[in-house]
Amino acid sequence: MATVVDITVEVCGMAGDGAIAAGALINEALSRGGFSVLGFDSYPAEIRGFGRCVTRSRIGSEEIVAMGAETHVLISLNEAEARSRIPFLAHRAMVIFESNPPTYVHHDSSFVAELPPDKLLFGMPLSDLASEATGATRGRNLTALGGFAAVCGINPALFIEVIEKKFKSKGEKVLHTNVKSFEAGYAYAAKEYSEKREHAFQFPELLRQDGKVMLSGNQAIGMAALDAGLKLYFGYPITPATPIMEFLAAALPKKGGRVVQMEDEIASIGAVLGSFYAGARSMTATSGPGFALMTELITHGVMAEIPAVIVNAQRGGPATGLPTKTEQSDLHAAVFGGPGDSARIVIAPTNVSECYHYTVKSFQLAEKYQTPVIVLTDFYLDNRVENVVIPRASEAETRNGNVFPPASEKGNYKRYCLTESGISPRALPGMEGYIFTATGLEHTEKGLPDYSPEVHTLMTEKRHKKIASALADLPEPEVYFGDDRLDVGVIGWGSTFGSVLEATRTSRKKGLRVAALKITSLSPLHTTIIQGFMERCSHVLVPELNYEGQLANLIGHLHHRPVVRLNLVTGTPFPPSMIIQKIEDLIHGEAA
Amino acid sequence: MKTPGHVLAQRIRDIGESGAFRPRSDALPTWCPGCGYFGIHQALNQCLSRLELPLHNVVVVSGIGCAGRYPFFSHTYGLHTVHGRTLPVATGVKLANPDLTVFAIGGDGDGLAIGGGHFPHVARRNIDINYLLFDNSIYGLTKGQPSPSSRTGTITKASPAGTFEKPLNATLLALTYEASFVARLFAGDPNGIAAALIEGVKTPGFAFFHIYTSCVTFDKTFKTWAHLKEWVHPLPDDYDPTNRRNAFEMALEDDFSTGIIYRRD
Repeated sequence: MATVVDITVEVCGMAGDGAIAAGALINEALSRGGFSVLGFDSYPAEIRGFGRCVTRSRIGSEEIVAMGAETHVLISLNEAEARSRIPFLAHRAMVIFESNPPTYVHHDSSFVAELPPDKLLFGMPLSDLASEATGATRGRNLTALGGFAAVCGINPALFIEVIEKKFKSKGEKVLHTNVKSFEAGYAYAAKEYSEKREHAFQFPELLRQDGKVMLSGNQAIGMAALDAGLKLYFGYPITPATPIMEFLAAALPKKGGRVVQMEDEIASIGAVLGSFYAGARSMTATSGPGFALMTELITHGVMAEIPAVIVNAQRGGPATGLPTKTEQSDLHAAVFGGPGDSARIVIAPTNVSECYHYTVKSFQLAEKYQTPVIVLTDFYLDNRVENVVIPRASEAETRNGNVFPPASEKGNYKRYCLTESGISPRALPGMEGYIFTATGLEHTEKGLPDYSPEVHTLMTEKRHKKIASALADLPEPEVYFGDDRLDVGVIGWGSTFGSVLEATRTSRKKGLRVAALKITSLSPLHTTIIQGFMERCSHVLVPELNYEGQLANLIGHLHHRPVVRLNLVTGTPFPPSMIIQKIEDLIHGEAA
Repeated sequence: MKTPGHVLAQRIRDIGESGAFRPRSDALPTWCPGCGYFGIHQALNQCLSRLELPLHNVVVVSGIGCAGRYPFFSHTYGLHTVHGRTLPVATGVKLANPDLTVFAIGGDGDGLAIGGGHFPHVARRNIDINYLLFDNSIYGLTKGQPSPSSRTGTITKASPAGTFEKPLNATLLALTYEASFVARLFAGDPNGIAAALIEGVKTPGFAFFHIYTSCVTFDKTFKTWAHLKEWVHPLPDDYDPTNRRNAFEMALEDDFSTGIIYRRD
């Protein structure tokens, strides 16, 4: 592929217009066409309220790691809703919209009239075309896709293929309606805009690419839990974690497992601890408000040394906050939340593939280190789709991490015996000769309550030593791009890391000495590696989707001068352009 | 001829060392002398011995409060959780390994106040857990505050003018929540408790044991031994526990009748 492709396509409509479905088809078709695809939908918290649905798909010939700020192609299924997207249109962006020439365009109401003159307009009588082809207007979203394919030079066969895949199960009639609607749009635009399309963006010839699937972060987490041998899932509905429960509710029973919707998040984590205590892999997923309810029992897992796997899919907070917006403001809660010195393991994946692998890993870590493991994601990471090679876990990744007591301890078993690593072999109920009581009270090696200064000192140290020793099994921070000395080192975590990576790449292309550091293990921290990176940087920049700079708070003290914080609470993914701007400001000596 | 004491003692030691049926742990209960929990402890031990359950296949899950300490005094697997969360944790244990016999133990504060939100759902899920609620109508471990089952007007340091709330009837709640087995019992009658426990453990599904007991330290006026002994009486001989309508009536109108109130057919 000679031409470098990097365009963002947006489909915008009211709930019911089929915008989300159209966006999914674009992702699927262009993924098959050999591109890297990253898609993200935005929808309201209200099921039938204001109802604006926007899907954005960024399509590239090179790896796409972040959402772009600008839109190059806007497909409007509803003018009133599309109007809000005008500020995001790139120079000479294409707009495909419903128009019925020669109808008079009323300046007060038409969104087209508000578009700046540089935009390329492709009006289509979407409803009429769909209606003529199928007798109903329902397929007009597909008609618009047909127009998009024709104008941008995409082989229609790719779309037909994915339409068939998507609608095959819904019966011949539905499939036919959708295919015909698409074809009507394609034929119309190919004829009507045969000359004008030369000014539009043209996709190079598409290469077939198989073996990749469009997968969201939540789907990847669900698949990972299945592949890890999950037996039980306990949860309570909450945006944006619910899709994990729904995915498993369909898939887990087929593997002999069970999903139980509990009465609240406290019950969910309680049941997860109970299951792991009895030896079965289990999991719960929630968001900030539910996570807050869980914290007491999470620290019970820390104290009683019971494994647990908890996904915290962050959303805007505090309290009920912004249920359908993305934010990274639960880092403090995840790492420190709850009573006491309660060190636990917190991993934050940065992309869909990591969502899969770190979820698989979390079960083994929880078993081996006998502690709750929190997988910290966010709305954007949970809901965005990436085309990835179908992930598979190796036997080493899914292997049981339990450490059982040796036969020599039978009859004289010390559940919480003090060891070098802090890990004490753990018996499971049903094992003869190892009876013990797990407790959230401070306890002796035998597990009996004891509040003496000696015991609390030794046991607190044991629990922390254990977590520190987990560092060896946790993914190390990764440096992207070499150079001994750096003008700016950008440190990112979670979904923001993609934006950090893109910003760093772009800045380097401009000749700037910058690099990125990805931190996925938030607790425990690889302080030596982080410090090593910081030492090479004149400036350390930490962009995060929170106000307080929660990662900066966690690692800032490792740098010899204050780290530069870049914080956004817009509820939207971090735009790489803002990071690029900050890098340039820092290098060119502007006030940090 | 009488068996000499040293021979008897040796026999007792042999039985003890065989470990076959020794559900009592080495730890001495920390309950106050005269506490009703000793009676319940004895009854549960009796139940475990009589059912001949291998003790390593038994898990006692508890919450916080005087009753929460139970697992430490039991030679079974134990899980002493946080306040009010006994039932969901027990749910996880049972679903993870259905071969285990699971007892959930807690007081009236643990089960009806902080944990009251779990009770209906665990009962209606009908998971095979045996839930023992030790109901002495007082918070003992925090030194005598009113509980959800304290009668209206209860005077404590936390309620010097007397409580204004109506007390909850745990038996009635369990019936409403669709428990499969409901027994109302008295800590002063360990044999009665043991008999009901044996029945309840054998009944599949969620079994609830509402056990009236006395806090000798912080309740000198209401659920005293003297009062309980006076109030408690067995269910009528012809009582049919499989009739849910009867059970509601009994739970409502004669709330010190003891025995198996309800058993789903």
